[in-house]
Amino acid sequence: MITARHIMSTEFHSLQPGTTIADAAKEFKYASEKEGRRVFGMMVIENEKLVGILSMYDLLLFLQPKHVHIWGEMSDLDISGLFENISAKTKDIRVSDIMSTEVVTVEESSNVFTVLEIMNRKHIRRVPVVDNNRVLGIVYISDLFFHLVDNIV
Amino acid sequence: MGIRLASQLQEKNTLFSKLLVEDSMRRQVITLPMDQIISSAIRTIIKFKVDAVLVTDGEGLPAGIITKTEIMGTYYADLPLEIPLSDIMASPVITCSPKDTLESALVTMQQAAIHRIYVTNEGGKAIGTLSYPDIVGHLYRFCCDCDYGMRKRSESSDHEKLRYSIKDVMTPTVTTALDTDSITEVIEKLSSFQLGALLIIDESGKHAGVISKTDLALAYCRNVPLDANAHAIMNGPVKLCADNQPLEEGIRQMVFSEISRLFVHGSDHEVCTGVLSLSDAARTRSGSCQACSSARIKVKEQ
Repeated sequence: MITARHIMSTEFHSLQPGTTIADAAKEFKYASEKEGRRVFGMMVIENEKLVGILSMYDLLLFLQPKHVHIWGEMSDLDISGLFENISAKTKDIRVSDIMSTEVVTVEESSNVFTVLEIMNRKHIRRVPVVDNNRVLGIVYISDLFFHLVDNIV
Repeated sequence: MGIRLASQLQEKNTLFSKLLVEDSMRRQVITLPMDQIISSAIRTIIKFKVDAVLVTDGEGLPAGIITKTEIMGTYYADLPLEIPLSDIMASPVITCSPKDTLESALVTMQQAAIHRIYVTNEGGKAIGTLSYPDIVGHLYRFCCDCDYGMRKRSESSDHEKLRYSIKDVMTPTVTTALDTDSITEVIEKLSSFQLGALLIIDESGKHAGVISKTDLALAYCRNVPLDANAHAIMNGPVKLCADNQPLEEGIRQMVFSEISRLFVHGSDHEVCTGVLSLSDAARTRSGSCQACSSARIKVKEQ
């Protein structure tokens, strides 16, 4: 039986909860270069235990200027210096302030189709593989897909 | 389910009588189910940069609301971050219809002393929110389009004396705390004066930073103990503006810096003489200029 263990990546980058958002964003870029894939979400690990997940979407939400929806009304607004302003904010906010803490996980022995069902139902693209909350690896939906392609199609 | 208040105040005929709630509401409603815990609510508020989260029941209908005020109260009571939202949410939720006029929604908000109102459809589902910053956008555009607007001021300097300055609209008192005060003392001051933020000063009386309800929510989420000093969680430097600047300039600075209030100084830059909040700006209802008192207001028919 093919299980999560066969398709998970054991080489992955992770974040610390106390890291600033500014450093986390750099980490996304670095991890993408090192892993040779676009990293859209990273596990947040503290003392080897999984405490949350931070996605690129979480970062993008935070980078969106607060009142941008009324800017249409303020066409003469001078936005020079805006990047500096947002950049300063990213140094005050930590990964643990905006990460998702309700993380769906699977075990090493979880069947590949169980993992697929979870990903489809929860609309998630990556699932940490844990043993008693200790991280062993991560299953990416693309790896699962290509595994199925190789074995079924 | 949310409730609708019957308007008791007479609606004034202003710019906002001709605009509908659906024209200026935000269509993104940030919600959490009521079995979620308070740390999730704090993370949601920080991530989406909102002041409140709507709490929904099993059917997805409004059951209550968690604002930064509820979060501050829970922190003050030293309750665990795992407490469910259903235990601390404020209810009922005050709502209005998308077809209500902006003026009537504002009257309801004023009557209920709330900063945001939820817009619900016929089934009771929340489809939008209306808060003071959304209205400020309208106000700003109207002022810029107006013949007496700032943009055209150079051509019509006769009308300059009619402009509202920050001084006219600001709250002329500033509540401060010392940077050595405990977080508990800061919360007590914020809640007894019903403020959104306190100016923090050092021993010599100089302004050192600001503590807003957002800073308190972050401190709570980060497990900062209540007996820690204000200094540990304050934000600095203080964003200041001069009291003789036009109101639009203050609005521009707040929108731009993503803050809800500015501290105001007079001729002495070291002394804060007042606070200008986005809510103050929005409550100055008939525009930011005395040229458009409600009787003389001109609204272009659409």
